[in-house]
Amino acid sequence: MNTEHTVSFADAAILDFLERASDAELDGLDFGVIGMDDASHVTRYNRFESAAAGLSPDRVLGHALFTVVAPCMNNFMIAQRFEDAQQDGSALDDTINYVLTLRMRPVKVKLRLLARPGSALRYVLVHRQT
Amino acid sequence: MSAPVEQEYEALLQFMYMAPIGLVQTLADGEITMVNPLCAQLLMPLSPDGQLANLFTALEAVVPDLRQRVREFPDAHGTICDAQQVPISTGQAGRRQHQVLSLTLLKLDAERLMAVLSDVTQSVRRERELRQSQAWINTLAIGLSDYALVSLDHHGCVQDWNPSISRITGFSREQVEGRSLSLFYPADAMSDQRVLDRLHEADLTGWSLDEGWCVRAEGGRYWGSCLIAPLHDSDDDPSDEHAYSLIIRDVSDRREAAEAMLKAVSCDHLTGLFNRRAFVEAAELEMQRWARSPRPLSLVMIDADHFKRINDQYGHVTGDGVLRHMAASMTATFRAMDVLARFGGEEFIVLLPDTSLEGAELVAQRLCRLIEATPAVVGEHTVRYTVSAGVAAMDADATDFDALVQRADEALYAAKAKGRNRVERWQPATLPAAVR
Repeated sequence: MNTEHTVSFADAAILDFLERASDAELDGLDFGVIGMDDASHVTRYNRFESAAAGLSPDRVLGHALFTVVAPCMNNFMIAQRFEDAQQDGSALDDTINYVLTLRMRPVKVKLRLLARPGSALRYVLVHRQT
Repeated sequence: MSAPVEQEYEALLQFMYMAPIGLVQTLADGEITMVNPLCAQLLMPLSPDGQLANLFTALEAVVPDLRQRVREFPDAHGTICDAQQVPISTGQAGRRQHQVLSLTLLKLDAERLMAVLSDVTQSVRRERELRQSQAWINTLAIGLSDYALVSLDHHGCVQDWNPSISRITGFSREQVEGRSLSLFYPADAMSDQRVLDRLHEADLTGWSLDEGWCVRAEGGRYWGSCLIAPLHDSDDDPSDEHAYSLIIRDVSDRREAAEAMLKAVSCDHLTGLFNRRAFVEAAELEMQRWARSPRPLSLVMIDADHFKRINDQYGHVTGDGVLRHMAASMTATFRAMDVLARFGGEEFIVLLPDTSLEGAELVAQRLCRLIEATPAVVGEHTVRYTVSAGVAAMDADATDFDALVQRADEALYAAKAKGRNRVERWQPATLPAAVR
């Protein structure tokens, strides 16, 4: 029963956890998880992120992250970082301060950008700052 | 049967998330209450504090007069600015991206403002090309009865006499033959280098057109439209065989309309100097000229000293008066061919074509002394103030215009640090190029 909150936003080995975690395990986390494939289509979207954005997963899964789901991340601060990592075949693990527009309200968050060569999915983790 | 309200709400929410235009609602003081993702995408790279709490703060560096325009807007509701073009540059050093945003700001009522932001970089580029073609067609189609036609050699010197020159400009054959076309312009408006630039631009695009003050033989001014077009067939000819035609038309009757339009689009609301958009456009052209053939090109960044104190002591209205005084002092000091602009808040910038670092420093010092000696009189207040300036020159180590701006900024910072009311040159060793 204590699978919930087993991993923290800042955990160094979080990518390993994400890769083997079930959807239920992702839904138990207290921060947002968005996973996308090589073509930047969203393939994982956990309960925390769904509730914060006010969108159910079926409106999001299979859609392009940077154009349909989160256009606010489509700039050099985020989208470009993933593109660069993909092009160079390098790993990306960086945490930045950002403002998301959850339900049209500006909300201060920490975003953790994760990618590594050989992994099927790349992740954006969203932690609300209080 | 209609969908449940929750589902409709969710669909509406996603509609707003996906809207390909930036929307933001704020309180009267700019505090953001609602904002959609595209707006955040456009604003976040500009935000000086990495937050989106206040729209005026987020746009401060690129539209410094926004807060003031909202404050001075007289009506209970209405359009405060309509599709104003705002040039921005974002990205990391060395990989900067130039974009143009369009900003529309509406006052909904006493408490609420709404802004629409969009990226219009592509359409601005297309418009500019269209405008040039339009100018070409206008020149051909209108006023063909009243023009001076001259042929120029590859130095821009008049080759052949044509009686139309005398009719329009009053110059005689002896006065113009073999002389540079700069003779038709006021003394500080057209350097030899600029003449060559215009010939080269005519080679590249098929024409070079400008509109502005020209002079007649007896010294009187008129508003002229001057077109230079190449007469040679292609760039394959040796360049010393290149020849051009110059067509000058007196369009003085159009001057007021042209100036009013130019002012509305290009000038800062408060000071009448160029706004950031117009400055960046002019600077881009100078950078292209520099890249083609490097020559002295200097930049001066000027900032009023202790401006916050002036505002605190006398109030914003007087502060605005001081900025106007500063702009007028700059106009009196620099040349007509220099590009003067308000760059942000109390910060001004001047681009000096064909001017060395030493030359720019001398002029900037003249401005410092002038302002020190001439207080601004605003209403019943007489405000003594000073300015500091940083001077930098373009060279091969400066990768782009942003790098030059950065240098002038560093020099300005040094001038402030050394006690203000002074001019400092950029020194390569003083500071490492900090990443903004």
